[in-house]
Amino acid sequence: MSKLFVNKDKMSYLLRDLTIQVLIYSAIVCVSGVFLWILFDLIRGGSALLSWQFLTDVPRDAGRAGGISSILASTLLVLLIALLAALPISWATAILLTEFISAESPFGRWVRYSLQVLACVPSIIFGLFGYAFFSLYLGLGFSILSGGLTLACMLLPILVSTAEAGLRAVPESYRLSAVALGMSRAATLFHVLLPVAAPAWAAGLLLGIGRAAAETAALMFTSGYVDRMPESLLDSGRVLALHIFDLSMNVPGGDAPAFASALVLILLLLVINLVAMRFTYLWQRKKLNAE
Amino acid sequence: MRWMKSIGAATIMLVLMSLTLSTFASSHKLVLTGSSTIAPLAIELGRRFESLHPGVRVDVQTGGSSRGINDTRKGVADIGMVSGVLKSAEQDLQAFAIALDGVGIIVHASNPVTTLTNRQIVGIFTGRITNWQEVGGHDARITLVNKAEGRSTLESFLAYFQLKNSEIKSHIVIGDNQQGIKIVSGNPHAIGYVSIGAAAYDAQRGVPIKLLTMDGVAATVANVRNGTYPLSRPLNLVTRLPPTGLVKQFIDFARSKQTHDLVEAQYFVPVSVD
Repeated sequence: MSKLFVNKDKMSYLLRDLTIQVLIYSAIVCVSGVFLWILFDLIRGGSALLSWQFLTDVPRDAGRAGGISSILASTLLVLLIALLAALPISWATAILLTEFISAESPFGRWVRYSLQVLACVPSIIFGLFGYAFFSLYLGLGFSILSGGLTLACMLLPILVSTAEAGLRAVPESYRLSAVALGMSRAATLFHVLLPVAAPAWAAGLLLGIGRAAAETAALMFTSGYVDRMPESLLDSGRVLALHIFDLSMNVPGGDAPAFASALVLILLLLVINLVAMRFTYLWQRKKLNAE
Repeated sequence: MRWMKSIGAATIMLVLMSLTLSTFASSHKLVLTGSSTIAPLAIELGRRFESLHPGVRVDVQTGGSSRGINDTRKGVADIGMVSGVLKSAEQDLQAFAIALDGVGIIVHASNPVTTLTNRQIVGIFTGRITNWQEVGGHDARITLVNKAEGRSTLESFLAYFQLKNSEIKSHIVIGDNQQGIKIVSGNPHAIGYVSIGAAAYDAQRGVPIKLLTMDGVAATVANVRNGTYPLSRPLNLVTRLPPTGLVKQFIDFARSKQTHDLVEAQYFVPVSVD
């Protein structure tokens, strides 16, 4: 009698486990399914046009013919400027917020609050701000420089909050051990905290790059619409996302190159992701094992 | 070490400053901003103009007709791009038409309706006619696609049918022409209005839409050109002052016969100035 009950119990446990497993796997299938669907759609629509020539030719006939070499160059330049401007500021802010002032201090709260507000601002607002401040007031005009700086403002909240979360996740005992060993604050930061927090920082950086590379609204008014190969940072240059938007919404017959450009954008982001993750892994291993 | 650093910093400053100066010193740069409809054409015009005038650069920025007007007034742009007739409040600007763009009513290709009278169109857009059956189609509810406030296609459409935007009972509000075409091609019961050139181009290439005949005149680029199609709008270049120098050269070039192929390549109708 009692044996039967146990078996029945076991059965219901098994059933429950199985249900949960199925649910979890179906959630995973949903998440990666969306990505695969998008990727499949892009490959179907864009792979016919994708070639070496497409990557090395400048756009012609409003983007229907030719390639996207100048667009790629502008995209990478805008991205570079945005990261060069945003990374030092935001990472320094994150270090200040976690390591040098207490989490409850009014100043820390105020900085965090303003970053949260900044994170909620729609990108078109950044675009209008960049247009008014960088392009007109500072006289940078419609240029890669003003586009990159506008993007940098937009990236601040993402970069600061991810870097801060990464540093906070480092166990307090590490800091105490470092102090006990007589390490200076800077040494603790560079030899203990940063290597441990590196994956979180890399993840934040990748989120930032992803958001920056996909940005259209903030750049329409700042880095602009010119599809020529940029000769200096003060030239206007069209980025990939804006090119895709223009081709699919504004140019009759622009769908095929729009698909191909979107495919290039996705591949570019994939490559950047892989390289950054690999680089972080190697750096962390070297740093933590050597010492 | 310290002096090396300061020399490095000074060098970077100098390079940046010279870059800035060299860019602003060149007076051979034309900046055009405005209508997204005109921008692709303006880029092609600019490319040909650059090849004819070495050393000149034509920078085209988009963002809508109202941006073109603002930037031209403020002097940020040398030339504004404005689609549609200038309003009474915009008469301080000088307008030069470079092309015509017809506005046509589109429905899904499977829709049996091929023509609508002006009365029927007004009825549909003001919500008095809500079923395709009433104008000779299937028994299905009409999905009305309208353009967003500020779009010059909307303004031409309203002006022609003497409607106010508040009277239009739209279900979907869209921005650009291609968006309208995509929505109508995906909804068998939708009706909308877009640039004839863009719609004809897509219809030819198998996108399931069709242009309706309006008051007996087929909505074709040819009918816009010969003036029989009633609903069209000019695509303008505008300036704050009467154009001189390079600006005048560019506007004259854009209105000349040597650019007609570029205008037609963007599915617009060239205007003859001479």
